[in-house]
Amino acid sequence: MLDTFVWWRGIALMIALLCGLSLVLPLPFMNEVVIFTIYVVGCNFMIGRLGYISFGQPAYLAIGAYSTAFYLFYFGSNPLVGILVGVLGGLIGSLLIGPFFVRLRSDYFAMVNLALAVVVFYLTEKVLVSITQGDNGLWFMTQMTSTPVLDLTIPSQFLAFGIIVTFFVFAFYKYLDGTIYGACCLATKLNEDKLQFIGYSNFSIRFLGFVIANTTTALAGAMYAVYLGFVSPEMGSPSRAAEPIIVTLLGGVGTLFGPVVGAIAYTGMKDVISNMIGNWELFIGFLLVFIMLVADRGIWGTLEPILARVVFPKSRNTDK
Amino acid sequence: MTTDASTTISNSEILKVTGLSAAYGEAKVLFDIDVSVKPGQIVACVGRNGAGKTSLLRSIAGFLNPTAGSVVADARNLVGMKPYDIAKFGVKYVPQDKKVFSDLTVRENLELASYATNDHNWDRVLEFFPKLKQHMDRKAGFMSGGERQMLMIGRATLGSPKVLLIDEPTEGLAPGIVTHLRNVFKELAKMTALLIVEQNLPLVCAIADRVYAIKDGRVVAEVSDKDAITFDACEQYL
Repeated sequence: MLDTFVWWRGIALMIALLCGLSLVLPLPFMNEVVIFTIYVVGCNFMIGRLGYISFGQPAYLAIGAYSTAFYLFYFGSNPLVGILVGVLGGLIGSLLIGPFFVRLRSDYFAMVNLALAVVVFYLTEKVLVSITQGDNGLWFMTQMTSTPVLDLTIPSQFLAFGIIVTFFVFAFYKYLDGTIYGACCLATKLNEDKLQFIGYSNFSIRFLGFVIANTTTALAGAMYAVYLGFVSPEMGSPSRAAEPIIVTLLGGVGTLFGPVVGAIAYTGMKDVISNMIGNWELFIGFLLVFIMLVADRGIWGTLEPILARVVFPKSRNTDK
Repeated sequence: MTTDASTTISNSEILKVTGLSAAYGEAKVLFDIDVSVKPGQIVACVGRNGAGKTSLLRSIAGFLNPTAGSVVADARNLVGMKPYDIAKFGVKYVPQDKKVFSDLTVRENLELASYATNDHNWDRVLEFFPKLKQHMDRKAGFMSGGERQMLMIGRATLGSPKVLLIDEPTEGLAPGIVTHLRNVFKELAKMTALLIVEQNLPLVCAIADRVYAIKDGRVVAEVSDKDAITFDACEQYL
């Protein structure tokens, strides 16, 4: 009973934080934070657990978003089904791409993913313009029907849905962390040869991790599509390839709650600073350099041990 | 009894390496190596640094593809098999560098091996290395070199391996731990075969049933009579 409480405690607190912030912060900001959090969770898993940096996350985001958009634009109108189609699209995409990419070394993996992001971007912008409508994008907000219990076409209810999805995503990744597979992921990052000494295939571990992470990213893409009621190639632009990595580093690589903290901080900085000064990207760039220099474990990576000591002095390191 | 490397070997070997050659790219490191290990035997490879001892173990474990020859364990040719399949088959390699999965706890390190081998009984491991019991929840990276070596050997013994390939197990360890490992190796030999690369000659003399001297990638001598395995007999190859 106590173990169960301890296991859920961190997730419950983080969800409570999101709910609390929803009461005081603007709705669009919170929806952005929640979706961005799910987006970054996959990237965080790949960097923190598999040791793979991917500059191709926009591609997987776009695969999820366009899968959802195709369904909602051409075939159906239920946004929940649309999100499921987006996740399925991400799953199939990862299963097809993964066997080729996860054989590569980390540095090549990063670059081949960037190349994929470029390919997906040009496919959606130029090559498949007859079905993606190129830069004009696909608009389907008015085609979506209301869903029971939580109506995803209403932003406030979409936020509630997003927080529930975030809850399950965190629970899933926390569960994964505690399994033998989670230990294998960390082990393959620490020393891939040694994992083979005891009988594990690095390929299988990385492939499964790749599929899990990028399906999560596709889920975020699908949610973006439903929330905005619109997708365009810009969503998967390679020029945004660094964003999930920056947020991962900002939040704290490999920490469970780093993505949500990073997403709040990054989205907040963007919103606040862009309202104050013109060239806000430059300022954020300097700010990020500063944060990395003074707290290389990221915001949550630095705060978590301190909070664990202060709030839960008898049970540290429960939320890795 | 000292014989040359081409001595005929019997069919009862659990591990038989025949005519093994290997190279790192263009650089040949092993030439026509013959080594055999019988069940319950401790076989030691001695030689100077760079002689090819570690390359031999890496070739057997599948990390270095042989250019010629065969590696047969329990009637199965290991050449061409993936390293993790060789480990699953029961030929386990314990490398020299004592690098465990530093961010995982001792328990998690053992769990990884347990899951891979479906052997969840740690009694024997903890009997060999009772110190591990005290450090179960400590991250392996925070253990001493000797403790890490214990963890690596303990981890490798899970799943009742057919052969353990152990690379320089006592390098840099305190004499007390070396003595402990010596006793453990003797006990381990009752359940598996050991092929050990070692430069600690007193240890080799104390435990080895057979010694191969390796020089410049070749087996230059084999001492298969236990009484003939002496410090002086081995020292000439270091």
